[in-house]
Amino acid sequence: MKLTQTSRTFNTVGYGVALLYALTIIVPISFIVLSAFKDHSDILANPLSLPTNLSIDNFFEAQERANLLTAMLNTASVIIGAEVFNLVFCYVAAYGIARIKLAESRLVEAVFSAGFLIPAFAIILPVFLLAANLGVLYEPGYLIAFYAVSRFPLTIVILASAMRQIPQDFEDSAVIDGANRLQVIQHVFLPLTRSAVATVIILNFLYVWNEYLFALILLPGDFKTIQLAVPLLRAERSVDYGLISAGIVISLIPIYIIFIIFQESIVKGLTSGGLKG
Amino acid sequence: MAQINLTTRPVMTTKSTFRINKRILFWLLIGPALVLFAILMLYPLGNMFYVSMLDWRGLLRPSTFSGLENYQRLLEQDDFSVAVRNTFIHIGIALPMTIYPAFFIAFWLSFRPRGHRLLRIIFFSPAMIAPPGKALIFLGLYFPDGIINQMLTSVGLQNLTHVWLADPSTSLGAIIAIDVWGGIGFYAVLFYAMLSNIPAELYEAARIDGANEWTIMRKIAYPLLLDFVGVALMLHFMWLLLGSSQNVLLLTQGGPGNSSLTLGYYLYEQAFEVKRLGYSQAIGVVIFAIGIIGMFLIRRTTNRVYEF
Repeated sequence: MKLTQTSRTFNTVGYGVALLYALTIIVPISFIVLSAFKDHSDILANPLSLPTNLSIDNFFEAQERANLLTAMLNTASVIIGAEVFNLVFCYVAAYGIARIKLAESRLVEAVFSAGFLIPAFAIILPVFLLAANLGVLYEPGYLIAFYAVSRFPLTIVILASAMRQIPQDFEDSAVIDGANRLQVIQHVFLPLTRSAVATVIILNFLYVWNEYLFALILLPGDFKTIQLAVPLLRAERSVDYGLISAGIVISLIPIYIIFIIFQESIVKGLTSGGLKG
Repeated sequence: MAQINLTTRPVMTTKSTFRINKRILFWLLIGPALVLFAILMLYPLGNMFYVSMLDWRGLLRPSTFSGLENYQRLLEQDDFSVAVRNTFIHIGIALPMTIYPAFFIAFWLSFRPRGHRLLRIIFFSPAMIAPPGKALIFLGLYFPDGIINQMLTSVGLQNLTHVWLADPSTSLGAIIAIDVWGGIGFYAVLFYAMLSNIPAELYEAARIDGANEWTIMRKIAYPLLLDFVGVALMLHFMWLLLGSSQNVLLLTQGGPGNSSLTLGYYLYEQAFEVKRLGYSQAIGVVIFAIGIIGMFLIRRTTNRVYEF
């Protein structure tokens, strides 16, 4: 949009609201970052002062107590598993929905779209019971499968709508040249759906990295994701906020790097297919 | 027409399996995803309704069919009515206080004021922080001698200080604040992205007619984005109804007393701590119904599609 002259009151109110809100974000985040380098009594005495001696003890102790790096690797393996699981099944399903025109196609698409109405959290106990019945309770593989499948509706909608935009001619001419379906997918669909696939991967990444409750319920005690590990730093009786802050900071570093790199695609993904459903 | 036949015919004859097996191929492609989806999502959803009609207190205990008894018990429990009330207060305050300020900020940002890029990065930051991180950050702010109380004291407002999480009069508000804080920036950035698609000529034309920014916001930008505002309202509504209970779990466990007990947390507590499995699923069915009704109402009031 072209910049046009805006009135003074509009600008003043806008800056006022925006800066006030920005302050409510900057203050707590700086507080956490500063606290990570301080000990508990110092935090309470001067919450926003710069650390007097730059101590990184909190980081080492947080790592020692909650095994944050192992937890991050665990999370990474869950993410990779869920991404692959999700994409493999959804890619072929989306192809079927987008490209094979049958009476059933619409119906199947409607079933998946209705999945948007199922809030995963509401079915947390039945999902737990199902794991128990299948004998896979506390198996990380079950959590991976659940993450992947609970994202089917979103992934299929995003991929199918991207595939519909590929002109039928492209496919036809490849077929005339003697390509079979698999080759058509490989040479026509995969290159042309790359950005939709990237969107799906990023959105799934954010979801799995941040997920807490299902991991809490479905994982065994000795396999912790990063989101389970961070709250471990909060002891029952005495709170050491320096330690907690260090844990939060460590857990935020990878996601923040991803965010800074992929900011545009994250927002694009969320506004295009991501939210609409 | 003739031309199309010319190009498609040879394909069908040389690759005749293409057409004959179309239906089989379709189910081969779609089947695995559909079966998994049915097992891991649809079956648990159905099972929620079934378990809600069981008297079942613990995974290893026997269960007996008890019809609608759990629902009757819901109506008799004070905790349930408090949870319903708290949930309506929670959503009633947090939903508009998130979405409308977010829309205003996004609209203002769409004029690209100085610093808008940096502001967008700052605004989106809370959305990148997972629920445990968010809850633990706020734990530090809400300490009896945490930042909020220290700031209030330093400006001479000692009498406004509270033990935020342990005071029944502020515990629910403390939970609401986290959702509002986290939500405004997220939706502001998304609204901004959508507002950037509106052609500048629409605003220019309105300006020539003498409209100021406030009028443009209310009469042009908001109606044009209404459909997407509806999507945002639905998403945030579902988050508040369910996802937000993670904050309750991590910070107050519904307390003190049941002052911050929400339906989502009540479901979790009954299922995994009190282990009244059947009863918890009756709560689940109520939440599911509220979710569907809420989304339907939001859709009804925002479903107007404008082309631009």
